[in-house]
Amino acid sequence: MRITVKYVAALRDRMGRPEETVDLPGDIADSEALIAHLRESDAAAEVLTHPSVRLIRNDAIVPRPAPLASGDTLAFCPPFTGG
Amino acid sequence: MARIATGILETPLDPAAELAAIAGQDNSAGGVASFVGQVRGEAGLTALELEHYPGVTEAALARIAETAAQRWPLMQAAIRHRVGKMMPGEPIVFVAASAAHRREALEAVGYMIDLLKTEAPFWKRVHTEEGSHWVDAVDGDREAADFWLDQIASEDA
Repeated sequence: MRITVKYVAALRDRMGRPEETVDLPGDIADSEALIAHLRESDAAAEVLTHPSVRLIRNDAIVPRPAPLASGDTLAFCPPFTGG
Repeated sequence: MARIATGILETPLDPAAELAAIAGQDNSAGGVASFVGQVRGEAGLTALELEHYPGVTEAALARIAETAAQRWPLMQAAIRHRVGKMMPGEPIVFVAASAAHRREALEAVGYMIDLLKTEAPFWKRVHTEEGSHWVDAVDGDREAADFWLDQIASEDA
């Protein structure tokens, strides 16, 4: 399946790109398996394993692990620092 | 049914105008509480930049205000949040609530600003003369939000 992965704020800097399209093997079903897959080709993706990293799947803030479906957009976000 | 007004601003926020839209607008309100967060002028800071996640942020602000209005008997609830670059002293966020009595209004404002810190996707970047860096999350912010969530959970139990 194909999903769009976004890296937000500090994670965009750490990953060196704002987003990418990823073609995933069929056995990858959630955010944690996606992170493991990303780490195989990019050591920088280790930062995504940190428990403080938040997820936005399509238009909703969701808890980890987040299930994934083809066509989803998943954004990795640092802890929120507004207000 | 409370009147809810929330939103993101890319242009300067005017707390006096925002407050005027609430205070004195409703004869049944006995109290209006508000909070203004502004850019703290720390050593070397030349600007503060706020990034957000368009679409999700607006929904998060509306949900926080609506939850406050369900929890406390409010006449109005408002959250306005700046994004983009701001100078020291400039307002970042305006939160307000009106209610029949002060306690409801004050508690609702405390709830909204505490939840906003951890549940709305904003990120701060500090600009200095040497460069810029992202602001780290503060542990106390998580604890402040958990205080309200624990309290609500125990009231519901």
